[in-house]
Amino acid sequence: MNTNEGQLELIELRRRFGDTIALDGLSFTVPRGQVFGFLGPNGAGKTTAMRAIVGVAALDSGSVRWNGAAAIGDEARRRIGYMPEERGLYPSMKVSEQLEYLARLHGLTAARAQSAARYWIDRLGLAARSQDKIEALSLGNQQRAQLAAALVHGPELLVLDEPFSGLDPAGVDAMSAVLTERAAAGVTMLFSSHQLDLVEHLCTAVAIIHRGALVAHGTVDELARGGKLRIAVKVAGDEQARWIARLPPGTGGLPAGATVEGITDGTATIALARDEDAQAILDLARRAGPVEQFGFARRRLSEVFRDAVGPGVPGAQAQTRAAMVAAATADANPATEAAR
Amino acid sequence: MSANWWAMTWLVARREINDRGRAKSFWIASAVLLVAVAAGAVIPALLAGGHAAARVGIVGGPAAALSQTAREAGQIYGTSVTVVRLPSVAAAKAGLRSGTLAAALVGDAEVLVNRQPVTGSSIGTTLAQIGGLQKIYAQLPPAAAAGAVAHGIALPVHSLSPPAKNLATRITGLTAAILIYVIILTYGIRITIGVGEEKATRVVEVLLTTLRPVQLLAGKVIGMGLLALGQIAAMVGVYLVLGHAVGSPEVRSAATNIVLVAGLWIVLGYAFYCTAYAAAGSLISRQADAYNAALPLQIPLILAYVLTYTVIYASTVNPFFHVLAFIPFTAPVAMPVLVAVGAAPAWQVVLSAIITVASTVWMARLAGTIYGRAILRTGSRLKVRQVLRSAA
Repeated sequence: MNTNEGQLELIELRRRFGDTIALDGLSFTVPRGQVFGFLGPNGAGKTTAMRAIVGVAALDSGSVRWNGAAAIGDEARRRIGYMPEERGLYPSMKVSEQLEYLARLHGLTAARAQSAARYWIDRLGLAARSQDKIEALSLGNQQRAQLAAALVHGPELLVLDEPFSGLDPAGVDAMSAVLTERAAAGVTMLFSSHQLDLVEHLCTAVAIIHRGALVAHGTVDELARGGKLRIAVKVAGDEQARWIARLPPGTGGLPAGATVEGITDGTATIALARDEDAQAILDLARRAGPVEQFGFARRRLSEVFRDAVGPGVPGAQAQTRAAMVAAATADANPATEAAR
Repeated sequence: MSANWWAMTWLVARREINDRGRAKSFWIASAVLLVAVAAGAVIPALLAGGHAAARVGIVGGPAAALSQTAREAGQIYGTSVTVVRLPSVAAAKAGLRSGTLAAALVGDAEVLVNRQPVTGSSIGTTLAQIGGLQKIYAQLPPAAAAGAVAHGIALPVHSLSPPAKNLATRITGLTAAILIYVIILTYGIRITIGVGEEKATRVVEVLLTTLRPVQLLAGKVIGMGLLALGQIAAMVGVYLVLGHAVGSPEVRSAATNIVLVAGLWIVLGYAFYCTAYAAAGSLISRQADAYNAALPLQIPLILAYVLTYTVIYASTVNPFFHVLAFIPFTAPVAMPVLVAVGAAPAWQVVLSAIITVASTVWMARLAGTIYGRAILRTGSRLKVRQVLRSAA
């Protein structure tokens, strides 16, 4: 098997609009079959990069390779599914007609276009709306129609710009399910979001960009670990985690190299030097009282982002603040970690 | 360009046709245009004299010879004549004023009509000619006099300039000018709005992941063009059928000539302008700007259209209008008008058509370049110069 098969490579993409640098030497690789998130604050250059990938925006320099080929030719372009950031459908066309039309433009026969349109209309819960004009749909349903339009021709590369914006929780679930299913089917996928925390549980891997350049890239697990294993532990009834402070230094205390990174509502997050130290800490906690919670803790992607670009990024700050609130309530999920 | 290239382009064209064909406004506009065409076909025929049965009065005698003269005049003029014997000239005048009589023959003295036609012949003038001949050759029977009038007693006349066309022909030309103007402007602005909509809604981004800009452009103007052709065919059909039903032989032949030239220019004019209107649409970011963007393209046709009235109602064609008939921006309206008033011989029509076809190629290239560069550029409204200076 060709190692490049299905692989999307962005190589040194550069694009400048007047004084604004949209892409500043952006490079990363998207492997096939992964739910791959393309993350970054608003204005980071995600849309420009995605438009360049699908060939609707020019680059000052750099190249996009897919399946190892230098340029995306006409034949390859028909196998791309693209969802632009804003709308992107004819307002006065009916949902089913619109999907059939787009399927046919991507080379499907009339009969196959019809059945593919019907399949995606049913799959995305638009059956009752298939004869409605796009402009008559709610924003959420327009978004579903937009996703159907990107999928109707069975693309092998999916480029989705902010697919989750404007979706209600049910819509987010439906969208997530489709993305996971497509990735499992072997599609190469790149979807963007500026809401890092909303999508991190969904992504296998991500590229995080800021000001047109890559700041982090890898699987979510690697990034969440950040090279160190972290655990979250709580002793019942000890809301300040005083049991840690009571530990003696040296032998009988915290293992060497372990540092307490934070305490929230009695749950202490401790970074470990060695993975084996987790059991020692569990023993220490048990001695202090009944252990209410124990599991591996992860860094949020927003924290990864903040660590990479530093404070002082207005958009990032706001996001990190929101992320910290979210982390305080829902961090350290033992179920996910056990599955790892 | 492969078969696949055309198949894709045809998909785009078909979507345009379906999209417009479903719009109520399209059918309402089509109906209004058909009514206008029907009026254009019927009114000149009515002005040309009408050829319903005519009632002709005779006063004095000999009654038999006078009625025969009246019937012979009707035959030559192409209408059936009902002869009415009247007791006095006063009675004849009353009949003419009330409109119950088309003309009255008073012995061998005179012919009375209510109003002389501005140009051309009428049952009255025909009566006068036959009656006059009979008077000169006192013993000439009416049939012989009619034969002399029909076949001509004068030497043949060859004029050096083309004959001035009559009002009926001119109005046929005006109808053609109005329709060409309306068709190009309405379909043109439709193209601008459609392209602007695709750009504003970002549909174009999705489409251009699989289509080339030139395919999208070609599909749109071909689809719209086919719709326009269908509409024109319906109008020409109505015109010819109605014209034949009510028109005289002269009007028929003149109308067919004008209709053919008008048909040619509506196609040439559309071809010349359609890509330019698409390019105008590619410059805008909001659909509300469509009319402003298209305005510069409308001004030449509006100018030619307004000047058309001066040509239709004046006896001569001014040199400025004659020049407009050779400029591709104004020729689609100006040339058919020149033909209708008899001011353009065939070679001029052919020359102007060649100029327009050559310019159409030039326009399509320029518009294709503008469209290709501008269609994906979002932000504020673009200027043509700005687009042409930029790289692709």
